Amino acid sequence: MTSKNPEYDFKWCPGCGDFGVRRALETAISRRTVEMEVAPENNVIIAGIGCSGNMVHLLEGDQPYGFHGIHGRSLPIAMGAKMGNPDLNVVVVAGDGDFLGIGLEHISPQAARNLNITAIVMDNGVYGLTKGQSSPTTDLGAVTSSTPYGKTEDKLHPFKMYLSLGVSFVSSTMSSQVRQMSTIMSEAMDHPGFSIVHIQSPCTEYNNTFELLKGNVRKGIPGLAYDIPEDHDDADWDAAFDIASNDGIPLGVLYRDTTRPTLDQRIDEVSEKVKAKSVASLLDSYAI
Amino acid sequence: MTISTTDIREKEQLISGSEAIAIACAMADVDVITAYPIRPYDTVMQFVSKLIADGTLSCEYIIAESEHSQFEIVKHASAVGARVFTGSSGVGWFYAFEALAVTCGLRLPMVAMVGNRALDDPGAFGTEHNDALAVRDLGWMLRWVDTAEEAMDAAFMAWRVAEDPRIYLPCAISTDGAFLTHSQQIVQMPSQEQVDEFLPPYDRGDFVLHPDNPITIAPQVNEDWLIEIRRQTDAAMRRARDVIIEAQDDMNRIFNREEEDPFIEEYMTEDADVVLVGMGTLSLPLKVTVRRLREQGKKVGFVRVKWFRPFPAPELQVALSKFKAIGIIDRDYSLGAPQNGGVLYTEIRSALYDVTPRPPMIGFICGLGGREVTVDSSTEMFDKTFEVAETGHAEEPLLWIGVRS
Repeated sequence: MTSKNPEYDFKWCPGCGDFGVRRALETAISRRTVEMEVAPENNVIIAGIGCSGNMVHLLEGDQPYGFHGIHGRSLPIAMGAKMGNPDLNVVVVAGDGDFLGIGLEHISPQAARNLNITAIVMDNGVYGLTKGQSSPTTDLGAVTSSTPYGKTEDKLHPFKMYLSLGVSFVSSTMSSQVRQMSTIMSEAMDHPGFSIVHIQSPCTEYNNTFELLKGNVRKGIPGLAYDIPEDHDDADWDAAFDIASNDGIPLGVLYRDTTRPTLDQRIDEVSEKVKAKSVASLLDSYAI
Repeated sequence: MTISTTDIREKEQLISGSEAIAIACAMADVDVITAYPIRPYDTVMQFVSKLIADGTLSCEYIIAESEHSQFEIVKHASAVGARVFTGSSGVGWFYAFEALAVTCGLRLPMVAMVGNRALDDPGAFGTEHNDALAVRDLGWMLRWVDTAEEAMDAAFMAWRVAEDPRIYLPCAISTDGAFLTHSQQIVQMPSQEQVDEFLPPYDRGDFVLHPDNPITIAPQVNEDWLIEIRRQTDAAMRRARDVIIEAQDDMNRIFNREEEDPFIEEYMTEDADVVLVGMGTLSLPLKVTVRRLREQGKKVGFVRVKWFRPFPAPELQVALSKFKAIGIIDRDYSLGAPQNGGVLYTEIRSALYDVTPRPPMIGFICGLGGREVTVDSSTEMFDKTFEVAETGHAEEPLLWIGVRS
């Protein structure tokens, strides 16, 4: 799982943040194999469309199952896989266009269900695969190949949205922090419920924000990314929302609620209440 | 992406099919354009952006959050009297299917470019025609083009015919992904004056949605009225034939073009024994093959279908009945269809049912997923069609060409 699949023609550009995400994901899944004795094939990687979708192709040897789905629909596909076999560790990999643009409508229902899966969102603030059109997380006023006079829509704030929708595990990291990413991914996979790992993963071709995130002392750029203070209580939703409302990119786990039942637990509970009816009793219910 | 610098006032341009259509948007003074990225259609987005940035094109340019919204926005812009343009490719076109379907019933003259692309899954970016063909029963006029110049002309033609009060139907221009969307060719440009003479402003008349003209668009009609509305849409599609002929005559005169027939193109068919028939950019290898086989003394020709809806049945009945055999090339598939044939094959077979003499025919499916249609594969199809001419019938009515075993 550490070298590229020789049969697959590589589709990421040099320096793409997704390389780091891939390494962190491999590490997180390997850890499950070693520490929890979860067979690699009991992991499922589900992708939509975009540069992020290449994640399902890039592993070799013993590897998770991959499902390269359709644009924006990774969450419904993940729901099918998870409900079909709740023992699987189901991981969605998606980009900001796929997850927060065309696929946005699926986040709210899965948050409400607390579907027990992990979504890894690679946010580069642009549609990279189709050559640099603006996406929901592109800055207001940004000039892209689809916004010649600057983007007219406000930038979406994913963390405030995730928290508002009731996602039970919300975290933030960036693609150069492989160790941190991998640790957070493991925590997200272990979390009982819908977990999101939102990763700043710069696009070197169309929206290279690496320096803005990391900072550059010589150029006087302070850097947007900062570690969430150690004393942050990630069970405190208000505190998490305060962090989400601040400027900058927080790194770490913003929010974690382990008290809510997962969807498969809810279904099990409902199933126990269901009582089968005979045809005769159904017909009797229409009797005058 | 590098975008060539285009001064649309130049008489001769080296541009791609997508760029030609973007320039047509500027010259047609389109009011509202919507977009959502998917390749190969997305090339037109970049060219539209550039024309806006250069000050050449002034319009509302809206990047929607999905294809579904993209097509809904232009649909309603059209209802308030705006000239519109949009487009997509492959599964993106399919994601907009609800909007595509209702646009015909509402008689809104949307013009769209389909950068033809295979329908995932498995993932493929190359050309197939099943995306645009999927709307063939609904009331969309469908045009296939094979050069950048024809793409530009087809765009002007599309607005002219779609916005004609006798028609008011949407029109899609199919441009083969990569082969035409991304490939540059020399285009002889019409002047702005010529375009203005050919293309009158869009006037929706009494059907315009406006506060001064309170009407309801898309009311619930159920069984009380729906069949009458379908019949009206059918009548509009039937009228489209004459409107296209009229518009093509005007285009030939105003643009100094030499299109002999608006619906089909015949290439070296005068004394041909057998011909192949197809749509889109496969015309290039087919025409090369025709020339090479003619050098060997074989009487072959090629017929290209330009309008698929309305289907040029009268033209094809006249053109094809004179050959000893015909081969129909589909860059599409229609699994489980009669003879297991492609869509074009099945339609032509139906169109020729009443023709005397009815030529024996064979169908070919090739070039799927963007696989190149080569001179070798074209020669193979001619050879198979010659066999049909000799025996008078096809042993196997449908063959897949160029498939690895």
